[in-house]
This record gives sequence, C-alpha cells and structure tokens, in this order.
Amino acid sequence: MSVLEVSNLECCYHTDNGAVKAIDGISFGLEAGEIIGVIGESGSGKTTLALSIMRLLDGRASISGTISYNGTNIAHLPEPEMNRFRWKDIAIVFQNSLDVLNPVMTVGNQVIEPLLKHENISVREAEARCADLFRTVGLDPIWMDAYPHQLSGGMRQRVLLAMALSCNPKLLILDEVTSALDAYTRKEIRDLLIGLQKKNGYGMVVVSHDLSFVSSLASRMIVLYAGRVVESGPTTDIINAPRHPYTRGLIHSTPDIFIYRDLWGIPGGEASGGDGYAGCPFGRRCTQSIDICRTSPPLLQPCGDDREVACHRGGIATLLRADDIHFRYTLPAGRVLHAVDGVDVEVREGEVLAIVGQTASGKSTLAHILAGILRPESGTVRFMDREVYGANYGHRFGGIQIVFQDPFSSTSNRFTVLDAVREPLDINGIGTAAERLDMAREALRQVRLPTIDEFLGRYCGALSGGQRQRVALARAMVMKPKLLIADETTSALDVSTAANVLRTLKGIQNRKGFAMIYISHDLSLTLKIADRIAVMDAGRIVETGNAHEVMLHPRDDRTKRLIDARISHCCHDHGDGVPTLTGMGEP
Amino acid sequence: MVPHLQDVIARLRDVISKFSLEGKIGLCGIALIVMVAVFAPFLSAYPPGKITGGSLESPGADHPLGTDELGMDIWSQICYGARMSLFIGLAVACIAGLGGGALGILAGYLGGAADQLVMRTVDVIMALPAFPLLIVISAFMGPNIFNVIFVLVLFSWAKPARIARSQTLTIKNNAYITAARNYGATPFYLLRRHILPEVFPILFVLIIGITSYAIMAETGLAFLGLGDPTAKSWGMMLHYATSFRSIYFTPYWQWWLLPPLAALIVLLLCLAFVGRDLEQVLDPRIRQNRGV
Repeated sequence: MSVLEVSNLECCYHTDNGAVKAIDGISFGLEAGEIIGVIGESGSGKTTLALSIMRLLDGRASISGTISYNGTNIAHLPEPEMNRFRWKDIAIVFQNSLDVLNPVMTVGNQVIEPLLKHENISVREAEARCADLFRTVGLDPIWMDAYPHQLSGGMRQRVLLAMALSCNPKLLILDEVTSALDAYTRKEIRDLLIGLQKKNGYGMVVVSHDLSFVSSLASRMIVLYAGRVVESGPTTDIINAPRHPYTRGLIHSTPDIFIYRDLWGIPGGEASGGDGYAGCPFGRRCTQSIDICRTSPPLLQPCGDDREVACHRGGIATLLRADDIHFRYTLPAGRVLHAVDGVDVEVREGEVLAIVGQTASGKSTLAHILAGILRPESGTVRFMDREVYGANYGHRFGGIQIVFQDPFSSTSNRFTVLDAVREPLDINGIGTAAERLDMAREALRQVRLPTIDEFLGRYCGALSGGQRQRVALARAMVMKPKLLIADETTSALDVSTAANVLRTLKGIQNRKGFAMIYISHDLSLTLKIADRIAVMDAGRIVETGNAHEVMLHPRDDRTKRLIDARISHCCHDHGDGVPTLTGMGEP
Repeated sequence: MVPHLQDVIARLRDVISKFSLEGKIGLCGIALIVMVAVFAPFLSAYPPGKITGGSLESPGADHPLGTDELGMDIWSQICYGARMSLFIGLAVACIAGLGGGALGILAGYLGGAADQLVMRTVDVIMALPAFPLLIVISAFMGPNIFNVIFVLVLFSWAKPARIARSQTLTIKNNAYITAARNYGATPFYLLRRHILPEVFPILFVLIIGITSYAIMAETGLAFLGLGDPTAKSWGMMLHYATSFRSIYFTPYWQWWLLPPLAALIVLLLCLAFVGRDLEQVLDPRIRQNRGV
C-alpha cells in the first residue's frame, strides 16, 4: 500500500507579474520503505514539490490536486492539523545552507526544539535523544553546544538530518542534501542514509539535480522538467537507456556516469513557464521536435517495463537504421573482400555514435553506405523511415552529410573558401546570392573560422590541414544536417589541431542537436565525445553499448584488444618488477 | 561576364610575370609573327602568288628579299606564309588538343567500355610510326591543306587524350568530388567547375607543343612536296627553293632559302620557350602549393 500518493498536483506561485506554474500536474506513488528519486535541473520544480508535500509553501503559492499520506489527503489540511503530520510522520532534510539554521541558537537546541514540541518529553530526555541522534548521524554530541557557523558544511548537513530524524518520521524528504558537499562527505552521507533506511525502513523522496547521488539511492526515478514529469521508471533502466531526450541530456551532463567523456550540458536555457507557450515544455531545447511539439504538451504515457515517458514521438526516436548490410569489393586475381558483413546499426536522434575499429575493418565503406554514397549489396539503410540510397538526403536541408578524412582532398585547391562552403547551395540553387553568402558566413562562424572577406577569398590550397577540415565541416553544416557522418575527420591532423577540430565538431553537435556518427580508429579520442560506441572488426560490428560500458566492461575479445592497444605513457610496467596499481583493493 | 574577363586578364598577367627571360622573348617573337601574319597585306607590296618582277631578282628597293624563279616577291611570300604556317599549326593543335582532351576527359570520367575504347585506340595510334604514315597518307589523299590538317590531327590527338584521362582519373578520386556528388552535382557541373579548370592548363601547354609539332610536320610534308602547292607556306617555300637545281651554286639561296628557314626556326624556338615556361608555371605539382 502506498504511503504517499500524489495525484495531479499543481502548484502556482502568484507574483506581481501574474501566476507562474511551478508544478504542472505531477502524479506518483511511494510504497512503504521505497526510495524514489526526483531529478531535474534547477527551476524544474523539484524543491516546490518537496515543499508542497510538507505544506511549507508560503501564502503566495496555491496548490491543487491531492497529496494523500496513508489515505489522508493532506493537500488542503488546515495548518494545525498539518502540524501533527510534520516531523512525526513526514520530515524534510533541507539543503545545507547557513540560513536554514538559526544562527543565534546552538545546533543542539535547534534539534531539541521539535522534539519538545511534538513528543511529550522533558528537556533532559530530549537532550539525551538529541545526543543519540547526533551519534546516529555520525556527529560527536559535544557539537550540540556549537553555533551553526562553527560547523563545516558536512556537519551542518548532519545536524539537519538529525533534526529531520528526531521524531522518527515514516517518510523522509531530502531536498538537495548533498549539493554543496565535497565528494567524500557526499559518499558518507549517502552511506549513512542507506544505513538508516535499512534500519528504520523510511520511505524516502530524494530530490536532487545530482544524478549520480540519486541513482545510487533510489530504486525508481522521476525526471521533472518545467514542473512536469517527463520520464519515470526503474533507476537502472533510466540510466542505461533513457527514453526522453531531456533525461539523456542530464545523464550526459553527469561526469560520474560518463567518466571519460567531456562534459556538455543541455543547450538552451531552462524553461521558465508562464509565457503563454503551449507546446511541449522541452520542445524548444529538444533535438527531435516536430510540429505537434510546438502546439500541445505531451502526456505521460506508459512505454513498457514499468516505465513512462512524456513525448509526442514516444521518446528518443530512431533516426537511421541499417539492417544486415553487406558490401564486397572484388580484388585483383578474383579475390573478394567482404568489407561490410552483415552490419546492423541504429542511430537515435541527437546522439553521437562512434564506430571504432582498426584500419581495414570496413568502417569507411560502412560510412559511405550509411551516407547513401555507396549502394549496399543487400540489406537496408533507412533514414527517417526512407531508404537512404537514391533518396538524395545530401541534396537538402535536414538530411545526411558526410565529412571525409583527408583534409587536402576534401576541398579543391582551386576553390576559394567561399566557393567551397557555398558549393552545396550553388549546386542545389538554394537562396539568392546574398542569402548564400550569409549562410556560408554563418556556417564558417559555427566552425570558428574567420568570416572576413579576405579569408572568404583565400584559396583552399593556401590553408592548413585543420583549416581545410573546418572548411569541409562548414560545407556540411551549411546544409543543416540531421545526421553528420564524420569519417576519420581528425585522424590526419596533428594532436592539437585534431583536439580543436573535434571540440568544434562536438560543440556544434551539442548546440545544433544533430545526430553524429563519428568513425575513428582512435578509441581514446572517441571516448571524449561518444554517447555510444560500436566496435567494428573485419566487416562486423562485434560490440555496441554505452561508451563507458564498452570501455569499462568490454565483452568481446576484439574490444578488449582495442582497449589494451592503448599505449599508456608512463613507465609503470616494463616488466622490471615495479609493482603496478592494478589489483590493489582486491582480496 | 566583365569581372570574369578581368579575372582572366589578372591571371594571365600573373602567369606571365612568372616567365623567365627566354619565355618573355618567346612571347614577343610569337606576337611579332602573329602581327606579320595578320597585317600581311599592309606589310607587303605585292600578292604572294603574282608575278611582279623578273625571275630571280636580287633584293632591292622593289623587292626587299628579291624574287623567286617565277618572279614572285619573296617578302610577301614570307608574310603570307606566316599565315599559312600559323593557321595549320594552330588548327591542328586546337582540334587535336581540345578534341583529344575532351575524349580523354570523357574516357576518364565515364570509365568502363568508353574508357577502354578510347584508350585502346590511343595505344594503337601511339604505337604507329607517325612520320612515315603521314607521308603515305598525305600522298594517298592528295595535296590539300585540309587533308594535311586532317592527317596531322590524326596523329597528335592521342597524347592530350591520354594526359587528360589520367588527370581526370586523379581528380575524380578526390573527396571533394564525392562530396559534390553527394550534394547532387550533375556530371556537367563537375566537368565545368572541377575537372575542366584542372585539366585545361595542362591541355594548354600541350596545345603549344602540338603547334610546334604540326608546323614542323607540315614543313616536312611540304618539303617533300606533299603540301598544297597553291598554299604558300614556309615549308612550300623551302620546297621550291631546294627544288631549284644547283641553288647552292648561286647566291639566290641567301634570300630565297634562308628567310623562310630563319622564320621557321624563330617561330619554333619561341614556341618552345613559351611552352617550357608555361609548363613550369602551370605544373600541377607546383600549383598544388600555391592554389593558382
């Protein structure tokens, strides 16, 4: 039976400039002893949710919907009756900051205060309980006489926790309890919470923007965006295979999950609501929005495996799908090279898929097939549900573009920068001369090249390799692709130039939200940008998975070989008996 | 159109500025001979095919280079002969260079059967001994200026075709061609924007070389008496002069034989100089780094 049942909760803040809907129809239930995580960026309504369950919102906020605690609707209980529930049944642990605690009262007294108020006990007993509580949360009771400013952040957080636990609540709400803490303290608090929960069986609502913290505690998660639930389901499933683009963005912004990757946030500002926009709240930052996303908000709908997602497109959509592609080259002397041997690939909207493999593993051939340049012998490649070969997706905006490896042949020596970037527009007769110039300038700006006339008139033959690769990239960007295939784009460049070009590439990808297939032989490099990795060997894809999964837990021997082939620069193991770090900590 | 013209002029000036001294001399020489050919009626007092004086006159006030055995003015023959030699040379070079180049580009671009057909023909033509066949064919077809041009073209289109094909093949393999195709470029666009501008400078150098070859070959044929007797080219003049029995026992060779010979040598030298310099300036390996 649910301890807490929130249904269709709405919450409005009334300001001088009108009402702002901070929570817009949230429903969820919490079983006894369950830990549920509520996750979202700042401004998504997490804290409002926590406060409205506690009924601690000030008078300028109005609530509708029901919050039932053990069958009692507490959403509209009068204040005195609500006070009976607070602390004794539902307690909140506030985010640690100086203004939550009274600066002129010792922390001990602040913990004793609710005890005296809610439990009918003497001051002496209360002090003893307080000392117990301090010990429970890992604080020496001598700190009871200290003032808040004398304590460290982690200690204050423990005081706040002790305060919440003081009256043995059944339900604990934790609001950003670890945001301001260092990693070590954060882990301690987490371990403490897990220990307490095991011992006392609290139900917990963990509200935080810290995905790794929440996912390490909660068995289920709710993802909030602009006051709405965009996705909910079991934690592991959500982390491993997010269905909503926003959830994916959050996961990708979390360094603890993608250890090797560079950090890229979700582009665009968080939604504020209240400006009369009627579409999907995430629509304006979404990489896959369609017409309906701008006109009506999607409803939360079940999508199997106990999961729900609110998206008009049913979650992250598949952009390109290749099934069982084969391609063979006939070599001299009648030999046949099976370059692509039954490959299945799927690219979803807005993601970076890296195809990694040794040279001659068929990566480039695969890239050409996926781009529609080569026709596969058998199998299908479908882009937005249409066959790629012959559909001319390179001719138009929102199609597929490909950037090649060799910077010196990717653009013609005789072309000026402007000619080269403008070429796709010229070929397809898009826009007037002035519009083409503007589009070319815009594309050059995106790839961080100068847009002055002197540079536009320079011959590509006079540019450096890195610059030429950027020009080739700008030429692809001018067609505003939905899928960009980068075929070893940086491998012919020196490390520094390659790093710059790669960051530019990923930067545009993140900003523009197109999907990208990044083809490379360099595993370390792809780990910096890839969401998913497909390992290719001898024409087959031997392993596909999340970038960190593939790197940390390779399943296939060929993947392991690829990972082991990385040369580490230090002298730790030359077989001269120097002990290595691997294996330490294992029994 | 006007900015294009300016562009072309600027590029020409750029090319010429990279010429060596010999190259510049060559250019001036060619310009001079072209002027002579164009303004022949104003530079000579008499038509070349008309008897205007006594037979075998020495150079004098009336006839600056004297007259031949029929009493025709040699200076006018030189002036009009420049027309003939240049016309034949350029006609052959343009037809063979551009036609052969076009065939080569097509062969390289299309590949497959068309490529095989063109290249095997080229192989055959290049394997044939050109000059003996030239003599046999022109003797068979009869002395006529167009026959001469035809025969010369027949034996000089193979080289431009071969070079244009290999260039086209190289260009075709560049990633930017694949990219342009992916953007929807038509073969016509690829030819116009990518292949022709790359191949044309090389063809141009070849055309100059073929001009030399054609002038020389025409002279050779004419010398052997296989030229058009009514078309007074420098080669025909040499033919007539040397056919004059015991010319070397008379002083006539000084004004009858030497002037056309000197004119020929000057023209061929100038063409060689220009050809060599152009080759250096337009060489693809040098251009690669300059982006010309």
